[in-house]
Amino acid sequence: MKRFPRSLGFDRFSGAYMLGAFVIVFSIWKPSLFATTATLHSVTADKAISGILALAILVPLVCGVYDLSVGATVNFATILSVLLVKNGWSIPLAMLIAVFLGGVIGAVNGFIVVRLKVNSFITTLGMASVIAAVQVIVTHNQQPLPPNIPIWNDITQKTVLGFQVIVLYMLAIAFVVWWALAHTPVGRYLYAIGSSPEAARLSGVRVDAYSWLSLIASGTIAGIAGVLYGSLTGPSLSFGGGLLLPAFAAVFLGSTQITPGRFNVWGSVLSIYVLATGVRGLQLVTNNVQWLDGMFSGVALITAVAVAVGRQRSADERKRRSLSSTRQLSAADA
Amino acid sequence: MTVSEVRALDVRALTKTFAGGRALDDVDFAIAAGEIHALLGENGSGKSTLIKVVSGFHRPDPGATVLIGGQPLAFGSPLASYELGARFVHQDLGLVEASSISDNLAFGPGFPTAFGTILARRAHARAARALEQVEIDIDPDALIGSLSPAQKTGVAVARALLAKGSASVRLLVLDEPTARLPEHEVVHLLALVRSVARRGIGVLYVTHRLDEVFEIADHATTLRDGRRVASKPVPGLTRHDLLHDLFGAALEHPLRMPSAAGQSPLIDADGAAAAMSGPVLSGALLSGAVLSVALLSVDGLCSEVLREVTFAIEAGEVVGVAGITGSGRDALCATLFGAGRRDSGVVRVNGQPLRRARPAEAMAQGVAYVPAERKLQGAFMDLTARENISISNLQKLWRWPRLRRRQEGQEARRWFDRFSIRPNGAVEQLLSTFSGGNQQKVVFGKWFQRQPVLFLLDEPTQGVDVSAKAELHAALFEAARSGAGVLISSSDVEELATTCDRVLVLRSGRIVAELRGAEVSPHAMSRAALGIDHQEPILPQGTMT
Repeated sequence: MKRFPRSLGFDRFSGAYMLGAFVIVFSIWKPSLFATTATLHSVTADKAISGILALAILVPLVCGVYDLSVGATVNFATILSVLLVKNGWSIPLAMLIAVFLGGVIGAVNGFIVVRLKVNSFITTLGMASVIAAVQVIVTHNQQPLPPNIPIWNDITQKTVLGFQVIVLYMLAIAFVVWWALAHTPVGRYLYAIGSSPEAARLSGVRVDAYSWLSLIASGTIAGIAGVLYGSLTGPSLSFGGGLLLPAFAAVFLGSTQITPGRFNVWGSVLSIYVLATGVRGLQLVTNNVQWLDGMFSGVALITAVAVAVGRQRSADERKRRSLSSTRQLSAADA
Repeated sequence: MTVSEVRALDVRALTKTFAGGRALDDVDFAIAAGEIHALLGENGSGKSTLIKVVSGFHRPDPGATVLIGGQPLAFGSPLASYELGARFVHQDLGLVEASSISDNLAFGPGFPTAFGTILARRAHARAARALEQVEIDIDPDALIGSLSPAQKTGVAVARALLAKGSASVRLLVLDEPTARLPEHEVVHLLALVRSVARRGIGVLYVTHRLDEVFEIADHATTLRDGRRVASKPVPGLTRHDLLHDLFGAALEHPLRMPSAAGQSPLIDADGAAAAMSGPVLSGALLSGAVLSVALLSVDGLCSEVLREVTFAIEAGEVVGVAGITGSGRDALCATLFGAGRRDSGVVRVNGQPLRRARPAEAMAQGVAYVPAERKLQGAFMDLTARENISISNLQKLWRWPRLRRRQEGQEARRWFDRFSIRPNGAVEQLLSTFSGGNQQKVVFGKWFQRQPVLFLLDEPTQGVDVSAKAELHAALFEAARSGAGVLISSSDVEELATTCDRVLVLRSGRIVAELRGAEVSPHAMSRAALGIDHQEPILPQGTMT
């Protein structure tokens, strides 16, 4: 196999190179439409919510727990915060309640996964359906109008250096999650549990407590994403489900980046924008066909997992060969 | 049976040399059709190599012949062995627990189908016939998971005997079929083996339990250090003969058995309850003991059984745990550490009771535990060596607002130097890239860093090369010298003999012997583990006092 020099980091930063390639290709192809600061600003802002959702998925995934309910949670938090504000609650309080409720959903998921020992995939899939049903009960399936309060929109839409402030929120949350996962004992415990729950338990890690905590974190982050979406775009009854798959794709693609073989924050964020740039460019080229986003995310998810699995297998093979060669050497010595 | 009948198995001049030495040396023996033939030998005597030659896994040295049902076996071909009619039931039965008996019997030869649909009734009937042949009376629709251990073995035998094509079964090899069976189930298994033999199939029955040999076998062959020591008909054989064959002339004096007063926590196999009175307990609860265990019991639903295990470890002592598979040896360390549930009993570390079975509590008292299954339980294969070493020590590296990464790396490198882990200083590599010995050294580093007062180790040098083994042992000795207690549970009696001051021998969940000082020898451990006690004199009767 041909080896690229390590300093160029093709191995760890293939996503960044791909992002660069997209930018160059589409800038040449559609210079007047693609290569504008407006495109930059809109792509970054559009995908900020997806980015936050990816971070929500990332935390439990590090310890091997799937949270498929974040799409429904984000949706519910949006509707709830808007309804509360429209009913005269103060904006901070409404936001706090919606975020708190996201955390409660995560805690319930955690109870079912940890205490009742139900597989997390099943638990959160079911929970997503339950949350959607509750949303119908609350809204009578009628989409509430956005609150007509300027401050409400300013929370996310105010611009800083041309970027909508939501981008900064996303980066702030990414920073906090990165700090927690990469620089605190809690993060280490989560990675250890993801690597081998039994070995973690026998190393004194409280596996149940941290798995539970990871689901509370994902619910809370999804709650934050929901509130921000309400401010950025206004309430919608069904947007959340559509964000789930792209977010998963980004997290898995991210696990092949920066620190390959490991789910990580900056890889996920990078991947969100690699995918978004590709989709935006293609939309401009093809005059906005509707299926691009779904096609791109689905292909990216499968490709990312295939790459990760392939990398693991080739690593095993290399190790097997190097061990057998050293064994032959030592046999030759003897 | 008549002489003209074809032999089930005939092994002549079988020698097998590995790079490390000779595993089998000019072995001859034969099994008649319908004969139950016991194969005896200590660990490493060549039993498994012999079986692997017959099953077509190993190719022997030139000059050997193996006839199965009178036909010469083409070596190195499992298919050839199968077609000549040799069948094997290993210790790991390989049954799918969640499927029915009839499904399990169909996974190999295939289901009877019509247009791709399983003919359930015919599969059922076929399974019923297979079970009938081994005289097991169970519904073929029963799930494997609902069966008793002996019944599971029976299903595995039935599966092995299933006819496939024209090949008729000549030889059934059972590799320690009773090792994992509870005592009361052994009788069922023996009945099943007899029924197989009655059909004219030769049975090679590998076992560690001498009682079974007398109960079931027609003939017994003993291997020692790869040589066939004896091959004799069982009628007329005495226990003493068998022991002599097994262990050679180097038999030592019988085990020291406990006096009624019980000055040490040593318990007779049969009189366990009687010996369990006051003095034993007080012996176990010595104030100076690093570890004291009193009447520890585990019911064995989730792991092996432990029954009223009582012992203590002093500071600086290296104590071994010996016993055959199923004796409770595998469960003891894990249970003490709190990895598994315990049903009753008191465990104290430095006098402090461990109230709940929880690893974190044991660790807080200074206990370290190295499990036997490194890849699944002992280490994190897809984390780096540095992360593996620091995982149990993160609180020390945490200073708001972050873990001290540099200090962590230095600490990991320190253990790399201390245990000479190769590749040198490669603390950032994933653990899966290291060899087994180096992985185990990393696991040791993780625990040594905590400076434990008590080490609990399950098979600490399994899959570890010789030099790494010596280094790991040296590290344990050093820990013991500085006042830690060490408990090593191992299936390798040689390892226990070379490392331990004292060895506890478990059988059926009880401590049946305690060997000290000069008594600690592989033979003494094997004998105690197999249940050869003072009532079975090893020396000729006349010399007993």
